[in-house]
Amino acid sequence: MSNAVNQVTSFVAMRGISKKYGNVRALSNVDLSVDSGRIVSIVGDNGAGKSTLIKVLTGAVSPDEGHISIGGRQVEITKPSDAQGLGIAAIYQDLALFNNLDISENVFAGHELVRRTLGVSFLRRKRMAQEAHNLLTRLGITTLKSGRQNVGSLSGGQRQMAAVARSIGMNARVLVLDEPTAALGVREAESLLEQVRTLRDEGMAIVLVTHRIPDAMLLSDQIVVLKSGQVHGLLDPRQCQLDEVIELIVRGRS
Amino acid sequence: MTRLDVGPPVEKARTSRVSVTDLLAHRESGILIAFVLVFTVMSIISPSFRTPFNLTVLAKQMAVVTIMANGQTLVIISGAFDLSQSAVAGLTAMVAGVLWFNAGLDPVLAMILALLTGAAAGATNGILAARFKLHPIVMTLATSTMFTGLIFVITHGKPVIGLPTQLLWMGEASIGPMPVSVLIMLLVVAAMHILLTRTLFGLRVRQVGGNREAARLTGVNVHRIWLGVFIISATLAALGGLIELGRVGNAIPSIGITLLFPIITASILGGTLLSGGEGSMIGTMLGAAVLTVINNSLVILQVDIYAQSVVQGALVVVALIVDQFRRGQLTLRDLIRPEL
Repeated sequence: MSNAVNQVTSFVAMRGISKKYGNVRALSNVDLSVDSGRIVSIVGDNGAGKSTLIKVLTGAVSPDEGHISIGGRQVEITKPSDAQGLGIAAIYQDLALFNNLDISENVFAGHELVRRTLGVSFLRRKRMAQEAHNLLTRLGITTLKSGRQNVGSLSGGQRQMAAVARSIGMNARVLVLDEPTAALGVREAESLLEQVRTLRDEGMAIVLVTHRIPDAMLLSDQIVVLKSGQVHGLLDPRQCQLDEVIELIVRGRS
Repeated sequence: MTRLDVGPPVEKARTSRVSVTDLLAHRESGILIAFVLVFTVMSIISPSFRTPFNLTVLAKQMAVVTIMANGQTLVIISGAFDLSQSAVAGLTAMVAGVLWFNAGLDPVLAMILALLTGAAAGATNGILAARFKLHPIVMTLATSTMFTGLIFVITHGKPVIGLPTQLLWMGEASIGPMPVSVLIMLLVVAAMHILLTRTLFGLRVRQVGGNREAARLTGVNVHRIWLGVFIISATLAALGGLIELGRVGNAIPSIGITLLFPIITASILGGTLLSGGEGSMIGTMLGAAVLTVINNSLVILQVDIYAQSVVQGALVVVALIVDQFRRGQLTLRDLIRPEL
């Protein structure tokens, strides 16, 4: 099998992942490989198991079977903080941002900069605000007043960029995006995808879950088609047509 | 890198000059204005209001409410409620009295053990809310009943009188013109303000209250945060109970029982969002100040005792309506066109 070699050397390697919710098989024996500097898109109909698969990777869901290795080393991911510790960042469909907190508190959520005094962890607020501001400037967002602005007051695109900044801020090596453009306008979506490309070029391993097949075709290095919790196809978007992908999503592997 | 266009520009940075609108946008400004207003009006219309004696009584009453309400505010910010605070205050006061009187312990040791009892009560609440995932309102109502029951089990309903000065010190004594309880209040507010706004724990509390699922996905241990929050709330309730003990002078089993309503009122008046995520310790102190001044005014102006309850209840209703506006759940248009 040609991708057997690929499987051994991939930066992210999920093997034989299975997950049941009661009697429903959400995933059965699913493999997923992502190399550094590559974008792998996961596509499939509603209920195909896309979200469950990436939630296993980000520690939000524990699999019943299977194992994961990162950088060639087998790892245990049982909770979100395990995944973060391994450099896996996630941007969820519903953003998982805190509207009641400011930009810097969101960007650094889960990996805050602290100074310990008398056993108490104090936030380094000025430095966090400064670094958040620098990150957002690096992402091209120059319209924000300061890192102390509340995230609740931002536009959809700015909020997504805050979420992207969060993953860069934590020095993530793997970025998982769950329907990142679902709530965005056309121009905002383009900006975000442009940013995802830049991160790929900087060497990040990126997993993208999307309903927008044309986005997946345009952006990714490999497309994984899931149906009923199983992998029905591994496609190279440069060597296949949109129709083929849709056919696989709807009918599965014949 | 290309500059990305992500939506309309947000408000341009202003010059460093602070405008009136900036000040008004501050969370605590509304309640501060309310306080200045009621305080000034009362000082003008009533000579007995502005006597040093009355102001000291006022400050001591406010101290107990503020200290306990600071704990309540932390709990509400984390997305829960603690209805057991007044019961914990009563339990603590009685435990201190009984340990001194029946067990013959040193008063200071009795107070320390009483505070630890309060903290243990908070840990019980925290474990029930976090581990057993019980609804905080009903759960703390239940533990409140348990703690109140414990008071009567311990004391058989009998008061402990003739308490030593050490036990009464926090609620009774003054350092110069400053009542010790007010000093403790200022220390508590300062510490709680720093805890909430400057520490990692405070940020975790705001994360859990703002978006619990996002907090979980971020790797926050929600259980541990709730446990900490309930322990702090009950410990402050216990501190309030010991101060109340000194203010009242005797350990009577019903001590602290009427404090719950003022505590929650102070927290709401202080701008704590009932849905969680936002609130201020300084605002809560100002809320307690407004509440205490209004209650005191009603007595001084000889308002009928039953009418006083009407005013106190109405005050909370008004605060709740303001809370609805702040959360954007209600607009003026909704009021004008109620059919929508």
